[in-house]
Amino acid sequence: MSIEVKNLVKQFNDKTVINDVSFKVNDGEVLAIVGFSGSGKSTILKLICELIKKDSGEIITPEGEDIAMVFQYSALFDSLNVADNIAFALHERKDLRNKYSEKDIKHIVAEKLELVGLKGIERKFPAELSGGMQKRVSFARAIVTEPKTILYDEPTAGLDPISSTLIEDYIVRLKEETNAASIVVTHQMSTITRTADKIIMLYDGKIVFTGTPAELLKQDTPYTKQFVTASLEGPMKIAA
Amino acid sequence: MDYKLIYKYFKQTATYKIATGILADLYVFIETIGNIAYNGFHTCKFIIKGDINFKEVIEQCYRFGITSLPITLSIVGMTSVIVASQVASEMVKQGGSNFVGLLMTMLIVREVSAVMSGFAIISMIGSSLASEIATMKVTSQIDAMKVLNIDPIRYLFVPRILAGTMMMPIIVVIAGIVGVLAGAVTAHLSADLGYRAFFDSAWLGVYMKDLGVSLLKALAFGATIALVSCSTGYEATGGAKGVGIATTKAVVWSFVAIVIWDMVFAMVFFF
Repeated sequence: MSIEVKNLVKQFNDKTVINDVSFKVNDGEVLAIVGFSGSGKSTILKLICELIKKDSGEIITPEGEDIAMVFQYSALFDSLNVADNIAFALHERKDLRNKYSEKDIKHIVAEKLELVGLKGIERKFPAELSGGMQKRVSFARAIVTEPKTILYDEPTAGLDPISSTLIEDYIVRLKEETNAASIVVTHQMSTITRTADKIIMLYDGKIVFTGTPAELLKQDTPYTKQFVTASLEGPMKIAA
Repeated sequence: MDYKLIYKYFKQTATYKIATGILADLYVFIETIGNIAYNGFHTCKFIIKGDINFKEVIEQCYRFGITSLPITLSIVGMTSVIVASQVASEMVKQGGSNFVGLLMTMLIVREVSAVMSGFAIISMIGSSLASEIATMKVTSQIDAMKVLNIDPIRYLFVPRILAGTMMMPIIVVIAGIVGVLAGAVTAHLSADLGYRAFFDSAWLGVYMKDLGVSLLKALAFGATIALVSCSTGYEATGGAKGVGIATTKAVVWSFVAIVIWDMVFAMVFFF
């Protein structure tokens, strides 16, 4: 089981935002998609989980298996408490609706919350939690269906450095515990170096670098050099 | 002839700007109608299949019926007071005291209870449905639902539309009773019309057909308000501004839809 993307193309209003992108992520592997804002990173995740339709190319995902996504701003259901958020798919999804008893669901929720280090907050509402805690609850919600692919959209954006470290540790821990193929969209160096097994860098919808975190840090190419040094000088121009 | 140059200058004219503005509005109008029809169709599919989240339906029924009732009854009651206070004394003066009850009851049963309740529900429930779903849309909660393989139409639309359709007739019946009672009290206080005289004539002008049409209207209004509000919320884009636009659109479209429905009912049953 793995996830493979072949020659993916997506246009919005005649602008090509994803231009012939191909990559493969194996089980138990974390791929970081990096690049400046607006380079098309999040679009790839939305294409993989079919929130938007691709124009051409191929996305091969494990057949019949779930794909989970952790959203940038957690996207927890704010009218539901933590337990109901995590159990949402178990309560509402057609194939899971009658599969578990309420007792089982309670047990699963507690287990997932423990996995993300948030034991005993079942009855709290998202608004009562910090940004980092919301993110971890969204992790728990994402893995409740035992997915074989986990997508993270800027998981550490807007968090303080210590919360970021905690989230990064959970990404690695989830990879080890679930053996899922994971894709992390980020532009934070700590997230890249602490979580990724391999990296692709996007610029203007195209892959401009493929390698490991160590290769990225070597700054062997003008793209990696500019990215790592966060320089305004280089091949990548940010739209004003 | 340099057509490119002509086109370039034409694009700067007021005619071009007005025409493109109208076309853009027309496009949005058709798109909104299309989305409402599409969502309505999918909602019906789930209802016909019996694929319904009953717990959510009950919650939405409470929201539609109970939370909106004080405002709805106040609006219908006050409308009845306004009409009765002006009509009753004049009719009594003109010797028509035997018809005050008839007129008020006919007016309330045929129009006021359904239409004014509809307006109250739009402003209280329709706007809240639209802003709730629009907020879910712009904060990716609906995307999260889709990624979890849960159809937002089943979870969000079906219970709200069912609740609107089921609760609206109940609201209209209660509002009608309150409206008639308010009319009787007002006629008594403003024109010294006896309650007996009011209620003796109240039954004369109201037929089963009127009650049936009023309930049919209530069903149509309830379903329409819920469907339009959910659909406009569901199409929201952007941030807080998008939520505001969706909410305004829900209210305006629901108002227009109800008036159109009312006109259709009047033409079909009373023309």
